[in-house]
Amino acid sequence: MQTPQDSDSLQSSRSGKRDSRRHTPKANMSGLYQRAIREAFIKLDPRTEVKNPVMFVVWVGTIVTFLVTLDPNLFGTVQADPGQQRLLNGLITFILFFTLVFANFAEAVAEGRGKAQADALRSTRSDTIAHKLLPDGSIQEVSSTELQRGDQVKVVAGDMIPADGEVIKGIASVDESAITGESAPVLKQPGTDIMSSVTGGTRILSDELILKVASDPGQGFIDRMIALVEGAERVKTPNEIALTVLLTVLTLVFLIVVATVSPLANYVQAPTTIAILISLLVALIPTTIGGLLSAIGIAGMDRVAQFNVIATSGRAVEACGDISTLVLDKTGTITLGNRLADEFIPVDGHTVEEVAQIALAASVFDETPEGKSIVILAERNSANINFNTDDASGVEFTARTRMSGTDLPNGKEVRKGAVDAVKGFVRSRGGTIPVQLDAAYERVSRLGGTPLAVCQDGEIYGVIYLKDIVKAGLRERFDQLRRMGVKTIMLTGDNRITASVIAEEAGVDDFIAEATPEDKIDVIRREQAEGKLVAMTGDGTNDAPALAQANVGVAMNSGTQAAKEAANMVDLDSDPTKLIDLVTIGKQLLITRGALTTFSIANDIAKYFAIIPTIFAAAGIGSLNIMGLKSPQSAIISALIYNALIIPALIPLALKGVQFRPLTADQLLRRNILIYGVGGVIAPFIAIKIIDVLLPFS
Amino acid sequence: MFQGWIQIALTLLIVVAITPFLGGYMARVYLGERTLLDPVLNPVERILFKLSGVQTRENMTGWQYIKAVLYSNLVMALLLTFILFSQGWLPFNPTALSEPTWDTVLHTVISFITNTDQQHYSGETTYGYFAQFAGLGYMLFVSAATGLAVGIAFIRGLTGRPLGNFYVDLTQSITRILLPIGIIGTILFIAGGVPETLTGPAIVPTLENPAISQAIARGPVAHFEILKQIGENGGGFFAVNSAHPFENPSPFTNLIQTVGMVMIPSSFIYTYGVIANNRKQAWLVYGMVLTISIVFIIFNGISEYNGNPAVNALLGGQVPNLEGKEVRFGWAQSALFSVITTGTMTGAVNSFHDSFMPTGGFVMMSNMFLQIIWGGQGTGTAYLFAYLILAVFVTGLMVGRTPEFLGRKIEKREVVLAGFLILLVHPIAILIPGAIAMSLPSAPDGVTAQGFYNGITNPSFHGLTQVLYEYASAAANNGSGFGGLLTSQPAPSALWWNLSASFSLLAGRYVPIVALLLLADSMSRKQPVPMTSGTLRTDTGLFTGITAGVILIMGALTFFPVLALGPIAEAFQIAKGIG
Amino acid sequence: MKRFDVRPPVLTAQIAEDMTEIWSEWRRQKLPLYLFLGLCFNLVLAPAVFAATGGEMSRSQTYWLSALGLVTIALAIYLFFVMFVPEKF
Repeated sequence: MQTPQDSDSLQSSRSGKRDSRRHTPKANMSGLYQRAIREAFIKLDPRTEVKNPVMFVVWVGTIVTFLVTLDPNLFGTVQADPGQQRLLNGLITFILFFTLVFANFAEAVAEGRGKAQADALRSTRSDTIAHKLLPDGSIQEVSSTELQRGDQVKVVAGDMIPADGEVIKGIASVDESAITGESAPVLKQPGTDIMSSVTGGTRILSDELILKVASDPGQGFIDRMIALVEGAERVKTPNEIALTVLLTVLTLVFLIVVATVSPLANYVQAPTTIAILISLLVALIPTTIGGLLSAIGIAGMDRVAQFNVIATSGRAVEACGDISTLVLDKTGTITLGNRLADEFIPVDGHTVEEVAQIALAASVFDETPEGKSIVILAERNSANINFNTDDASGVEFTARTRMSGTDLPNGKEVRKGAVDAVKGFVRSRGGTIPVQLDAAYERVSRLGGTPLAVCQDGEIYGVIYLKDIVKAGLRERFDQLRRMGVKTIMLTGDNRITASVIAEEAGVDDFIAEATPEDKIDVIRREQAEGKLVAMTGDGTNDAPALAQANVGVAMNSGTQAAKEAANMVDLDSDPTKLIDLVTIGKQLLITRGALTTFSIANDIAKYFAIIPTIFAAAGIGSLNIMGLKSPQSAIISALIYNALIIPALIPLALKGVQFRPLTADQLLRRNILIYGVGGVIAPFIAIKIIDVLLPFS
Repeated sequence: MFQGWIQIALTLLIVVAITPFLGGYMARVYLGERTLLDPVLNPVERILFKLSGVQTRENMTGWQYIKAVLYSNLVMALLLTFILFSQGWLPFNPTALSEPTWDTVLHTVISFITNTDQQHYSGETTYGYFAQFAGLGYMLFVSAATGLAVGIAFIRGLTGRPLGNFYVDLTQSITRILLPIGIIGTILFIAGGVPETLTGPAIVPTLENPAISQAIARGPVAHFEILKQIGENGGGFFAVNSAHPFENPSPFTNLIQTVGMVMIPSSFIYTYGVIANNRKQAWLVYGMVLTISIVFIIFNGISEYNGNPAVNALLGGQVPNLEGKEVRFGWAQSALFSVITTGTMTGAVNSFHDSFMPTGGFVMMSNMFLQIIWGGQGTGTAYLFAYLILAVFVTGLMVGRTPEFLGRKIEKREVVLAGFLILLVHPIAILIPGAIAMSLPSAPDGVTAQGFYNGITNPSFHGLTQVLYEYASAAANNGSGFGGLLTSQPAPSALWWNLSASFSLLAGRYVPIVALLLLADSMSRKQPVPMTSGTLRTDTGLFTGITAGVILIMGALTFFPVLALGPIAEAFQIAKGIG
Repeated sequence: MKRFDVRPPVLTAQIAEDMTEIWSEWRRQKLPLYLFLGLCFNLVLAPAVFAATGGEMSRSQTYWLSALGLVTIALAIYLFFVMFVPEKF
């Protein structure tokens, strides 16, 4: 059985590099199993059991076997010794009872883990005092739980932000580590689209803000997520419903089979008892998947929460598995936000080394990622700092000059910046503009890069090619997605040429260049018209319609309130690449359900061969007892024990999910059918035989 | 022995060879493409449609199609009821047969309208010529055509087309498929020696004693016979059906009969392949069904060839089990015929199924439980694809997507319909009446006692097989009888059998038809999802194998207890030498 | 006699009130009602089963057996219900 420690290590092993930010909702798993055991018994209440058709049949069966334990002759006089009969019936009742308890336990553990997760989330939203701004301008102290949508509140440095909201006034830094795990404070100010939204439970570090509350109490994202992972408001997903129908049909079929077998058996003079018929029924109906179905669903939600994503419905998580198109923004999702120096292009007889030398000199004081990347590239081109940096002074980049650089100790001025700006600088120093400069400029632009010219006083040395850097490992992930049949579309405001270069490099299937927000929604509609399910990420207000249109819309937590409202998931870490992980989680959820269903149904073959030949041995079909089970009693008890124990044995699998590999559908099917289909046929034969050997009666 | 297997292999080869031609032809007919018979049939059909007021271009929705099926079948059934009740004063009744009892008529009507043709009567002594060829013969056409229409509507829906128009499908199934094949077959049968006459029974002196004369029943048999076979009807002109020398005189006619039974349902799978534009899948599924069928034939053939050990012990040597078989067909053609007739829901018999070895009973019952080892006229293929949908649903989740078949998502509604019609109808229509029949009191002397008894003539396992076979035959719309049950009037148990079998017949026919058409309707309305590498491909050997597994587990395991207590137990009993 | 004149109406009113309350409670909670009706029906069914078994079983056994039959049918109806409206569960 899985211990809480195990689950933590599992989490960290899944993806080491993301570990750092997934520490956040620190779920407290202590006492989980004790509570789950208690819950398992409480859930024996028929009003709870009736919600699970398969287990409800077991529940009724248990009552009946209990009655025949009290009086074996209740439904008709049995031939066997009543004492022995009572013992057998008692054993059957006992095992059936534990089958129910185990199934409840599975659900309770999943719910318990969800609750722990929810508690962790809830701890971020403890009841705080909010300073509500009344229309007349006065301030009233109210509890944060009483805040209504549209209320205005004032928060000052050190306060906990009482609710999700939008900054309407002020500028302040906010510590969002409580929900994102990112320790660096975030600057919040009104009207900046992305930076104007705040989440309840985060802490304001400096200055003060006036917020407009965006949600009614209990309706915030975290509240909704809490409700979902706790299982209290769990609504069955479409797929779960369809599966429930199948399980119900199978249960009904076997109910009819078992109910009608009694007269047939009597006719061939191989009568059997009610308790044995109920055992046969319970063994045949799909109790394994019936008992684990809800646990699988809850665990799926839980996995999403562990990924620090808030889903507003289970349906959305399930839809992730069906996604066939991902619409991704270039900046921040496919490329790093910053551009990095890739090449030095010398002009007018200068060498690469010379350009590197000047570029290095111009960048020693530049702390931006671009500047640092120029230093690294220059040093790779064997440039070195040949002056005393203490005597030199840096020139900061300003929006007006669009240049930065260094004033060297020897009085020379080295500059780098936008080509136009540098041209102006050179002209002002009386220099000339090299003829090759425009060619270099055009070449870089066409490659999708940003050209920076470098100069020393009046002389332009060359151009630095700043390139968009595709995030590491994305290509492989897109390859995986392609194998899984998921198409990726990149959206960018860049021109076609630039876009095609990046698209080629990242390995996306398609791209839309010079995209406007309207294009985003158009591309989603177009894909959906072909019957595809589309997922996208977004953060801006103008993304909201597209987020709403997409089947899975993931809003960044740093995004605007409007975006979050329109989306059906919110990523607390604001990491757009997580969309890919969500697809995996959705698929894993469906695979787990399918695998356990297949396993459960495949088990029936062995159970039939264990029970039918032995209980109807009087009909002379003992030779069908290919497992060589000792006796009818032993066969039934073995099959039932297997039936009961397989539920807790599979709880870890149900909670953890079947291991997902990015394979094509055919490969996945072959693999899973071998493990769960063929395995499901063979495993119970072995297990039932072993239990039969171990059982102490003949 | 070798000769027998070669006969079997040749017959199956002919069937496979016919498939692409007939299947392709049927696809052209139902897709409204040009066919060879157009010049003749187009004017005929135009007149028919004009007379009946059918708007040929009007596509029906699921419910409209269902209503058309049910209403038209009801009207046809009422017509047949009228004919059967009034046969006493209708023409062509040379033997002056009077009207049968009401329960016999009820059962006959339901049995023939459902394409089952289960007969709780002897044809030659119950129904006159007019009742036979005008009443029952009419049903041979329309019930088969109804099945074809439903089958094609299902395929259309599955492939995203509108369902079509029932009346057009019904008419064209008759004019373009059943009639042309029927005319060729009738000529072949007449050439093979099957009578086609309206004269009464021949009165001839017997060979042993010319002073004693004997009445030999005959009638318009040849055309009735071919329709009985190709329409998967199975209701014989004579009581002993295709074992009768006037229905099936020679190995040649037997070959036509066997091929005739399986020709349309097997080709229909190919028709699906053409319409879905996926012949590969059609051949894969075809291969799966053919394989199961061959396995059944081999099982049955071996056990019939080896004969009954108890009899062999008496004879002091091994002889094939020829009890209840026609010597002109031998063990091989009888074994083949029995598997094909139960698999295709024809229900014609050229040997006495009751006398087969238990393996035979096992195979025949399994055929009827599964209903897809070719299956009924049109509906068999529909069932097959409903099984595929179930297999997609169970295993499709394992590729991590909402399961889809031909690009259409399988959701709650589809699972309810497929699960209901495939998994539930049969247990309800077979096991429940079966269990009730077995709980009814048996006659103390086994057979003849007066009073209300269940009319089962065999004790123990064989009796159980007889009862379950009867209901399986009714529910699967097969119609063959295992024999050994007192189901015909004037036996007192006939009322029970007529009524309970009628329930199984209706449940086994119309509930699945409604479910199939609704399923087709909802599939056709779905927006197709384009295929990607993440989509489960259903036209692979792997998936076909999985489907076979799902069919085995879901279809067959339901009936495992019945089979275990019936034929399996009997087989062990015989093996032990008690029987 | 006169003294009791006042009481009976109060008592009947009380009873009527109780009755309506029980009735409305029943209307609300269907399960006990169905259980009761099932048990009543079983009283009819059990003698039939007793007659059919021809004295092989005691009366109480046939009562329990027919109750089991009813439970089985009820379960089947329940499963049918779940099959068609699984959303409710």
